[in-house]
Amino acid sequence: MSSSTFFSHYPYSARRRRWLGMVASALVLGAWSAHAVSREPLPVVATFSILADMVKEVGGDRVAVTTIVGNDADAHGFEPKPQHAKALREAKVLVLNGLDFEPWLPRLTQASGFEGIKVLATEGVKVRRLGGRDTDAGHDHGSAAKHDGHSHGEADPHAWQDLTNGMIYARNIAAGLSKADPRNANYYESRASSYIARMKALDNEVKAAIAAIPPDRRRVISSHDAFGYFAAAYGVDFIPISGLSNQSEPSARDVARIIQMARDTGVAGVFIENMSSSVMAQQVARESGVLMGGTLYADALGPVDQPASTYLGMISWNAGRLVYVLKQSLQN
Amino acid sequence: MPDAAIAVEELSLGWREKVAVRDLSGQFLKGSITAVVGPNGAGKSTLLRGIMGWVTPLSGRIRLTGESGTTPAFMPQQGDFDRSFPINTRDFVAMGAWRRVGPWRAFSATERERLEHALQAVGLADFARRPLVTLSGGQLQRALFARLMLHDADTYMLDEPFSAVDRATTEDLMDLLLQWNAAGKTVIVVLHDLDLVRRHFPQTLLLAGQGVAWGRTDDVLTPENLHLARHLCAGDYL
Amino acid sequence: MEAFYLPFVEFGFMRRALAGSAALALAAGPLGVFLVLRRMSLMGDAMAHAILPGVAVGFLTAGLSLTAMTIGGMVTGLTVALLAAAVSRLTPQREDASFAAFYLVSLGVGVLLISLRGGNTELLHVLFGTVLGLDDAALILVSATSSITLLVLAVIFRPLVMECLDPLFLRSESRMGPVVHVVFLLLLVMTLVAGFQVLGTLMVVGIMMLPAAAARFWSVTATGQMILAALGGVFASYAGLLFSYHANVAASPAIILSAGILYFMSLIFGTQGGLWQVARQARARSLRLSRISRRDE
Repeated sequence: MSSSTFFSHYPYSARRRRWLGMVASALVLGAWSAHAVSREPLPVVATFSILADMVKEVGGDRVAVTTIVGNDADAHGFEPKPQHAKALREAKVLVLNGLDFEPWLPRLTQASGFEGIKVLATEGVKVRRLGGRDTDAGHDHGSAAKHDGHSHGEADPHAWQDLTNGMIYARNIAAGLSKADPRNANYYESRASSYIARMKALDNEVKAAIAAIPPDRRRVISSHDAFGYFAAAYGVDFIPISGLSNQSEPSARDVARIIQMARDTGVAGVFIENMSSSVMAQQVARESGVLMGGTLYADALGPVDQPASTYLGMISWNAGRLVYVLKQSLQN
Repeated sequence: MPDAAIAVEELSLGWREKVAVRDLSGQFLKGSITAVVGPNGAGKSTLLRGIMGWVTPLSGRIRLTGESGTTPAFMPQQGDFDRSFPINTRDFVAMGAWRRVGPWRAFSATERERLEHALQAVGLADFARRPLVTLSGGQLQRALFARLMLHDADTYMLDEPFSAVDRATTEDLMDLLLQWNAAGKTVIVVLHDLDLVRRHFPQTLLLAGQGVAWGRTDDVLTPENLHLARHLCAGDYL
Repeated sequence: MEAFYLPFVEFGFMRRALAGSAALALAAGPLGVFLVLRRMSLMGDAMAHAILPGVAVGFLTAGLSLTAMTIGGMVTGLTVALLAAAVSRLTPQREDASFAAFYLVSLGVGVLLISLRGGNTELLHVLFGTVLGLDDAALILVSATSSITLLVLAVIFRPLVMECLDPLFLRSESRMGPVVHVVFLLLLVMTLVAGFQVLGTLMVVGIMMLPAAAARFWSVTATGQMILAALGGVFASYAGLLFSYHANVAASPAIILSAGILYFMSLIFGTQGGLWQVARQARARSLRLSRISRRDE
């Protein structure tokens, strides 16, 4: 039976039939692609490893995260590469810290043509300002640094060191992800809530551990001023050798002052950081006779198979290390 | 028959692109004083450099004989010399004693005496402490002569030593050369002042890319020879 | 009065910083004088850049290891220097142009290697030094290098002077010329590499060239200039560290700026061709001439 005779028996015209066929296939395709879209993970770019870990926690398997400044790397002196621009162009959400932590970001976003949603992780955070310490006044920058895009704002960007702020981060990230992907909004919200609950638990633990140490024996020296928020939240006194960024070369006076302070008052230990040079810290330790307390994680997570490879892991490692050293010095 | 201090046999000197001296044969006798003359580009400087061993012969040989076959003392045309270098005249002249003193040995009393004698011989005794840069053209030339003198070699070769020097200094330094020759040194001087050659040099070598004439000055510096030399250097081969 | 020495008495790190930079200056000064005399002033800076990839490779393979970075720096520094010399000898290219070509390539490679690590701060310390953070190993390296440099300079002094002043003459007297040239380059590379931890590869050239350039205005002999350059560098280190302490500024640029001030003072007040002296002589001359012409009237 030829097709022409079969169709010629139908009451509908050939044209309308063709039109129906197209609509039908369109619907099928549409349903299929919508289904596929909802299955593809949301591409998200996080500016550095700590944010990336948080996004993974909140987004679960519905997001694909690309990190720009990876583990054990320094965001302050970072130089982006072409692959980062590419990742950014293809992303739907960008999660950044703000507070001048990523001075290279505006140029990168512009160059990449990113048109997605920006999540400012620190939105709603109570910002700590400089000026609380003598060593901050008149501190200097290595002005001729080749990679120095760092500008000296007065805000301390390391807000994540306080778990309460971490909770705000998580909320902001959940909101951003939900905005970009409303279909999974409930998923993101519930994951954020359980994440925040874990943060709360850790927060209480850290506070309890530090409370066990008398308030006047809680002084330590760190390489750079990365722990201001931790200090304020948990009551440990941090004396930084460099300023907000490792780019600044300390002046002789800064170093002398710290050594003097270490000699006069009781400093429990000198801590170095995972992504920066330990030279000055070792010099201070050597001269003041204070013991080297080990490594703290400040601006980046540690390598993947180590305890500080997640945000919560990092905070608990830092707290644990600090408490250990503080307790040690109590015995001396 | 006096010995030859330097003998050349069928010597050709030059580079792949250009042969500067072709098939030269002859001798500089020991204790002689010879002028080497010729038009520009005649190969006079190249010949001296060949004798010093700075240019390898393309063919032929150079034989140097002396007390120990020593290299001649050579004063090249003013070249890489940094006149403004911070050194005083005495230290500059003292460089001439290198062959005896080397890079490290201190200056003995004898050496210092020689140095003073050389400075006096050229009339620079009063200028010994002055920085080199303060010397005039003529004084600088005297210093170079003093330095050369310190070599105490058997043979002295000089390339255009009077080219930028005043008459009085030329005469003084010429006298010095004659004194050295009188003391038994072999002296070879490249010059372009034929008047000076005729007055002071008994022997002459006329070069023009090849040997045109070599022998007594009067026999060599004839108008025909000079004419021939000019043509050879202009590239017209007969 | 106490302000001038108290910081050094009180703090070990200040003493080390002074010891390290003084040791560096003692060797860098005389080397700088020779660079100036050989009209190779910019070569020092170029050489510092040439060293960079070697240091970077050392750092990338072995971290902040002194040995690795020193060896790396020496290898690339010498390679660039010798390659440039060879190219200029075998081809029509002049030595300064060939050296420029090689050191720029070297610099590019160095920056590329650094960027592989994403602008790591530790490498920035290599560029700018940590004069306040010198440990025993660093001090020993700088002192040893400087001692060797000064010793070797003393030994090759005569042929080195001759090589600068009249290379043709040296060639006619001895075959030491090229050897001395290479030894000098070796000393240069060695000092730059040792100096990078004190002042960083970018600034170490400053302590090499500025006192040397200044010394020219005070002495007419090469030896005199060398001694003054060494002392000037030591003084600049002292002054810079003191300034860093009292004015609360970064140390290594303070040292270099002190050297810079030393240079400008010498330029103006130096007894051998300083501007003030030149002006005075010009005035005296015109006074004399006017007196003569008045007499003739």
